[in-house]
Amino acid sequence: MNKSKVQKINRREFAQRAALLSAAIVPGGIVFSKPAAAVTAGDAQLPEGAEKLTAESRVEAEARFQQLMSQYGTRFDAGEQKSIRNSCYSLQRSLEKLRAFQLENGDAPAVYLKPLVEREKKPQSAPAAGAAPTAAPKKP
Amino acid sequence: MLKESILYESVGELAKRIESKQLSPVELTEAYLERSQKFGPRLNAYARLMPVEALDQARAAEKDIHRGHYRGPLHGIPYAAKDLLAVKGVQTTWGAKPFAEQVFDYNATVIEHLKNVGAVLLGKAAMIELAGGLGYNSASASLEGETRNPWDTSCWTCGSSSGSGAIVAAGLAGFAIGTETWGSILCPSAFCGVSGFRPTYGRVSRRGAMALSYSLDKIGPMARSAEDCTRIFAAIAGHDPLDRSTLAVDRAAFTYSPASDLKKHSLRVGWLANLWKEYEPGVAKAIQAAHKVLPKHFALVKDTVLPEGPWEDAAGVILQAEVASSFGDLIRSGRVKELRDPQGRIGGYANLSVSGGDFTTAQRVREILQKKMDALFESYDVLAAATLPAPATPLTLDLSKGLSFPDPLGAIGNLCGLPAISVPCGFTEKNLPVGLQFVGRAGDDASVLQAGQTFQHATEWHRKHPNLS
Repeated sequence: MNKSKVQKINRREFAQRAALLSAAIVPGGIVFSKPAAAVTAGDAQLPEGAEKLTAESRVEAEARFQQLMSQYGTRFDAGEQKSIRNSCYSLQRSLEKLRAFQLENGDAPAVYLKPLVEREKKPQSAPAAGAAPTAAPKKP
Repeated sequence: MLKESILYESVGELAKRIESKQLSPVELTEAYLERSQKFGPRLNAYARLMPVEALDQARAAEKDIHRGHYRGPLHGIPYAAKDLLAVKGVQTTWGAKPFAEQVFDYNATVIEHLKNVGAVLLGKAAMIELAGGLGYNSASASLEGETRNPWDTSCWTCGSSSGSGAIVAAGLAGFAIGTETWGSILCPSAFCGVSGFRPTYGRVSRRGAMALSYSLDKIGPMARSAEDCTRIFAAIAGHDPLDRSTLAVDRAAFTYSPASDLKKHSLRVGWLANLWKEYEPGVAKAIQAAHKVLPKHFALVKDTVLPEGPWEDAAGVILQAEVASSFGDLIRSGRVKELRDPQGRIGGYANLSVSGGDFTTAQRVREILQKKMDALFESYDVLAAATLPAPATPLTLDLSKGLSFPDPLGAIGNLCGLPAISVPCGFTEKNLPVGLQFVGRAGDDASVLQAGQTFQHATEWHRKHPNLS
């Protein structure tokens, strides 16, 4: 078996599973797995407004939170974890509304690249700002 | 010793005195310094005063003027700059402990522009840490602690240009420079009863200013009248080759002379009667009175509504994603824990989880909104509404509960880079100022400034001052 292929599949699977395993939906609520340093506070209680989210969004919000906890969880006490979890759900509510807004494929983003065309007008060998000028050749 | 009333004069009035040599820039600077030393600490208005540098600049201005080199209406006028603008060799803390010792070796372009027209930098104004970009729930979210409102020192000035608002309202300087990402000029202007102008995105260079949100940050004046804002804006606007987000030369520059009267025609106002879901009674009364003033001085005043859509959500996602980049290092390193406000210490983490796809979707929604707003401005030159539905809040208030109402016009205005001004339009029964905002089409800063001036020609609210003694 091709070793690199195995690694690629594993990486992809890891990313997918990390998102999915961090939260599992069960009838009547959501049960969360607890990776190392994951949340310890408020597991049973969903953040305010979470019930308005779709099931998929709740999973996503929880995955978002668990991802942060797996990276930075040891930095926070229970109250801070609860607060970050609330922020993740709050962000999810915004994302749900944004994604529901009808956009056509050709609706481009508001911020565009401004190619640095000025560069073409400048001499290639212009010294960097602050660089010391090269010494002029000494006259005999 | 100058009379207190002189220290509350507008830039235009002070400039007349200075140009005619009836008022010395040195004397004026000394008087503002003395007043700032007396009342500044009481209000927590300054991050730091710069008396030595200010007096040097004032002496230079005086010398120039005596030689006949008068540079215009800001020559010799003392001002304060929000402590997120770089001033060469002076601490620029961004209001935050992790940057408390930060010193730049150059001036922000805005500071440089004001230096070139002879304005005198009196000091750095206090501000909310990192302009509030990582979140905060209390007025004390600043290196300097809570800035107190000169109208009632048990109340807050709003943020994040909190010191700038207090300094202008208390007559501690001729004007101040603030910045806005989402509400940080308009809110302190309304709470403090001063005139604050948020220019079109890209008209004022942000080089040397702390970057919070690259596509939302703007720099603008806070002053004692809309006309003062116009004069200051004319001095700081313009393309900057060192800030690629500035507009092209012909679109960024702004010229003003009082005789030009900005525009000859009377403006059409779209009145946003239902912008805010609820008003505090004192605010509602002042806004109703302001509404009655408008028809006499504007060509048209007609009720209108904002387009509906997820604009606040788009603004929030863009802000969060950009802050995740501008302060990503601070968050990931854990140094964010040094911030003063408990919410600021953790508020940035969720930002790190915004995906590129969602950020781009928000930017696409933004483009749709820009077109909708541009269409709305076919019918109106400016939109008008209460700047906020509430007056200055108590210093002790939990801001997550007390100032957490939806702000659709703030979101729309900042998302689309629209110019706006807040002007005082009355007082509540507790003598707290109420603000009226005018918002215009992108690039049409002139109409917004004209609307503010027109309102102030018809009213006297901007001439009221708090009693600090």
